Amino acid sequence: MTKHPFRLIALAAVAALGLSGAALAQGKYVHANNSGYDNLDPHAVFDVGRAASRINFYDGLYRWVDNPPKMIPWLAESHTVTEDGLSWTFKLRQGVKFHDGTEMTADDVVYSMERMLAMKKGPATLFMAIIDPGTTKAKDRHTVVFNLKEPSAVFHSTVPEILIVNSKLVKQNEKDGDWGQAWLSKNVASTGSYTLRRYDPAVGFVGARFKDHFAGWGAKSFDEIEFRTVLETNTRVLGLLKGDIHGTDGYLPQDQIARLRQASNVQIIEQESMRVFYFAVHNSRPPLNDVHLRRALSYAFDYDGFNNDLLKGAVSRNAGPVPNNLWGVPKDVKGYTYDLEKAKAELAKVKEPMRPIVIGTLAGFSETEQAATLLQNAARKIGIEIKVESAPWPVVQSRMQKEDQMYDMVPLWKSTYYVDPNNWIGEMYGMRYLPLRNNSYYRNPEVDKRLEQALKVTDQSTRDRLYQEAGRIVVDDAAGIFVYNTKWFGPYAANIGGIRFCPIGNAQDMRWAYFK
Amino acid sequence: MRRLEIIVSRLAWFVPTIVGLLIIIFTISHIIPTDPVRVLAGDNATQEQLDALRKEYGYDKPLPIQFINYLKDVATGNLGISIFTKRPISETMWHRLPATLELTFAAVFLSVLFGIPLGVLSALKRNSLFDHVLRVITVSGLAVASFWLAMELQFLFSMNLAVAPLNGRISGFGPDPITGFFVIDSLLIWDMESLRSALSHMILPAITLALPAAATIVRFTRAGVLEVINSNFVLYERAMGIPWPLIVWKYVLRNALISTVTQIGLIFGVFLSGAVVVETVFDWPGIGAYAVNSILQSDYKAIMGFTIWTGAIFLIVNLITDIAHTLIDPRSSQ
Amino acid sequence: MKTGWRQALSKFVRDRAALIGSVIILGLILCAIFAPYLAPFPDDVYEFHTSNRLRAPDGVHYFGTDRMGSDVLSRILFGARITIMIAVIAISITVAIGVPIGLIAGYYGKWPSDALMRVSDIFLAIPQVVLAIAIAQTLGPSIENVILALSATYWPFWARLVYAETRSVKNEIFIESAIALGAPPWRVMLLHVLPNIASAIIVRTSIGMGNTILTAAILGFLGLGAPPPAPEWGRMIAESREFLPEAWWYATAPGLAIFLVVMGFNLLGDGLRDILDPRIRRAASREE
Repeated sequence: MTKHPFRLIALAAVAALGLSGAALAQGKYVHANNSGYDNLDPHAVFDVGRAASRINFYDGLYRWVDNPPKMIPWLAESHTVTEDGLSWTFKLRQGVKFHDGTEMTADDVVYSMERMLAMKKGPATLFMAIIDPGTTKAKDRHTVVFNLKEPSAVFHSTVPEILIVNSKLVKQNEKDGDWGQAWLSKNVASTGSYTLRRYDPAVGFVGARFKDHFAGWGAKSFDEIEFRTVLETNTRVLGLLKGDIHGTDGYLPQDQIARLRQASNVQIIEQESMRVFYFAVHNSRPPLNDVHLRRALSYAFDYDGFNNDLLKGAVSRNAGPVPNNLWGVPKDVKGYTYDLEKAKAELAKVKEPMRPIVIGTLAGFSETEQAATLLQNAARKIGIEIKVESAPWPVVQSRMQKEDQMYDMVPLWKSTYYVDPNNWIGEMYGMRYLPLRNNSYYRNPEVDKRLEQALKVTDQSTRDRLYQEAGRIVVDDAAGIFVYNTKWFGPYAANIGGIRFCPIGNAQDMRWAYFK
Repeated sequence: MRRLEIIVSRLAWFVPTIVGLLIIIFTISHIIPTDPVRVLAGDNATQEQLDALRKEYGYDKPLPIQFINYLKDVATGNLGISIFTKRPISETMWHRLPATLELTFAAVFLSVLFGIPLGVLSALKRNSLFDHVLRVITVSGLAVASFWLAMELQFLFSMNLAVAPLNGRISGFGPDPITGFFVIDSLLIWDMESLRSALSHMILPAITLALPAAATIVRFTRAGVLEVINSNFVLYERAMGIPWPLIVWKYVLRNALISTVTQIGLIFGVFLSGAVVVETVFDWPGIGAYAVNSILQSDYKAIMGFTIWTGAIFLIVNLITDIAHTLIDPRSSQ
Repeated sequence: MKTGWRQALSKFVRDRAALIGSVIILGLILCAIFAPYLAPFPDDVYEFHTSNRLRAPDGVHYFGTDRMGSDVLSRILFGARITIMIAVIAISITVAIGVPIGLIAGYYGKWPSDALMRVSDIFLAIPQVVLAIAIAQTLGPSIENVILALSATYWPFWARLVYAETRSVKNEIFIESAIALGAPPWRVMLLHVLPNIASAIIVRTSIGMGNTILTAAILGFLGLGAPPPAPEWGRMIAESREFLPEAWWYATAPGLAIFLVVMGFNLLGDGLRDILDPRIRRAASREE
């Protein structure tokens, strides 16, 4: 057994906030969210829009905080991993209480992992390929062992997504062997920061501070948090201006941010995030299988017009698939510029017969449509016809996942599910992720070799080099049109302090925040 | 007794009609290349996950079998699970129905409150300036796109004057549900804050919804009254020297009311189509907004659930209209 | 017969509603035809000027610019083409399906009429808008599919209208005598029944155009209409939503365009109803 290189920040983290739960706390924080909380089950829900219920009601073995993201020990204090990278042993914190007062043990961790694998929903995707049901063992009351099928360099960064449910309580509420899914969709059984006070799928939820939480509380932490679903951007902005709500999502249109900046009762917290906007391109279907056409299109996108005029410079140009503020990025690669002359030159080299190119945009996400029409407009000038079709995300997604149905191009974001270049370049262009996450149908053995190797080795500098090499090839191949990396503009009431932004969860972990 | 026959035949035809409608919806919802299982499984599903779910929900069976299984479930009152929210559809419909009904009743109230008196007045003052102006207004009321009217009202009253909330049904959670109607519930527990909030949220969507209906009511009330005024017995009674206000009160209004009641079923249809759009713009958590979202997300079980519910609502409203008509107008039962 | 039409014509000129309505519709048609000449920036249907986006109305851009920096007025003028095309084709198809079915069912009664009633019941059991949205969403956003969705959901109204009219005409003496004289059914339907219900159909067509434009706008608003960069009015309103309250002109202009056009068709329909046939006044007003 060797100690894993991962460094523990445990003591520091808990010491920093290690005040007693009895400390004076105050007030209710109200947040307006842009998507619905239709299910509270932490093992069913796994998307960016519904991160708040996962992170505020449940605890993981580790936890992501701050930006750039760092992982701090949470329900687990430390871990070791065997030389072959297969057996991961986690030492759990002792004396952690569930909301009902019982103690959290290794059995709960085993149950939670088995529950995810059995339900096969949301977060299970991170583990199904590498962990078999029944292989996770409780070594003793506070030690749990995960046995992987193959070495995985990214398993480590997905540990914060292993959220622990109260196994006894869930088992009591199981119905027909459903792993308590019906019950847990509207109840909470956890050790988490907040207990569930009120829940209505059409409205949102209210959580009350769990005073006995193992991590303790700050002197001014909120007594209650309320997360409401407010789909309309204007309502969220008006609510903030009027003081009805204290915070909302950090990816508002820039016109709205500009409006909020003028208000004295609102603050905008600005952070580099990790959310890459790009066009997924169908690399295997003629004529887009011709690298010259892909390059021509890459030269035909008005990056400045889009990033600076339409988005008012609120984003930063990202030349490749991996966000610039992460490692594994070839810094010398400048990417493509808007240059119709170069585009024409590349187009002249295309051998495949041309046909109209179809771009599928995401209904309700006007940015994708604006990006598509901008490309359509420039492409028309060099003689490429583009058709734009809009469809809701579920429709676009299921088409993307079938090679014969995938649109020619789809503009979309790749958000952070775990902080590792594999989350971006690996899943976007690695052959092992065909067709479900590699929707570009890009098959390049040179790239694939490097991506595969980067998943197996654990040495950081080797992985960095491999991802840089892969990134360089992908950009040269114009396997996608890479546009920008997002900045996050968190709008909060001016009297809110302690917001800790992290690209995973987008600052919705409310336990650190308070009224000034 | 003819009325009774009609009512019975309406009931008898309900099931085949709905099944026919379901066949249409089922067919068109299976042309789309959306795979419900992929939607259900979420963004990062693996093939293994997909196969397991496909089996669990019976999506691996041929389409006709799926349809028959669906009908069997419906017969036992189970509308299935929404692939998007992963919740039972019946539960969601029950939960959202009060919101739609509350808004619809408010709109019916407004449109009748303004529609009938204005209609009667314009008939009595036929060809006056008032009549002409009202005609322009009613024609406009039927010509304006409801989603645009909604947006302009929001722009004016919510964004600029800030006198009404932009959208939603209440700020935050409403009063604890007793009936599910926020206005009634907040009165029951005497929560004036909730009542004020609920009413202020309701006013703009109710106006948007009521305008075309009020225009329709004005128009046929006017036509109905004109018909009565020109009828022989009114002319006779006038000739007999019975005071004009009494005639208006006794015959004209009564007949206007009858013609309105018979049209309520029709107006209800106007409201339901209107609600689909108005709820979407005002983010009103009713079944109309649910239908639009479900369609846009290709959540076909939810669409079919909505179809059954709306069909049932139409039927019930039409039955009530028939019965009310029988009660108010004794002639029709003969 | 001739004097009847002449009378109707003079009535038409005197009826202000019909006159205003037809002026508006004529204006719409002229806008559609001459859009390239009338529009101050005809290229802006495709062309973007991202640095010039969301400009308030001024002497250059009378209705301001949109999110891509295109001239809103020019786009509205070109949008008239889409509106007319959708309404005319959809209504033609609807009439072509609904009228024969209604005629046949009304003429023969018995099982054809039962079948019509039951089938149209199916369509009338949920709001037309919902069914149209479902179909348009299934087929994917395009002008053709909007037309298809509108026609597929609108014909039952027509069939019912024609059915009811046919039934009421059928028992008239001159029809019965034509049948007694041995005229074949198609001849009776085409030469005797149809001319007598034509006025109802004409009135209904005008109002139906208005309804169809409104429903098409809803589809556009929900993103199911003509794909970008087509300057479809409903879509323009949807696009403008996130720029309220600042860019008020962006939503207001296309909304007014829809209002004006639908108003035109409704006024014309209203006027025609008064002129052609006072008898159908109430029957038609019930359909709204």
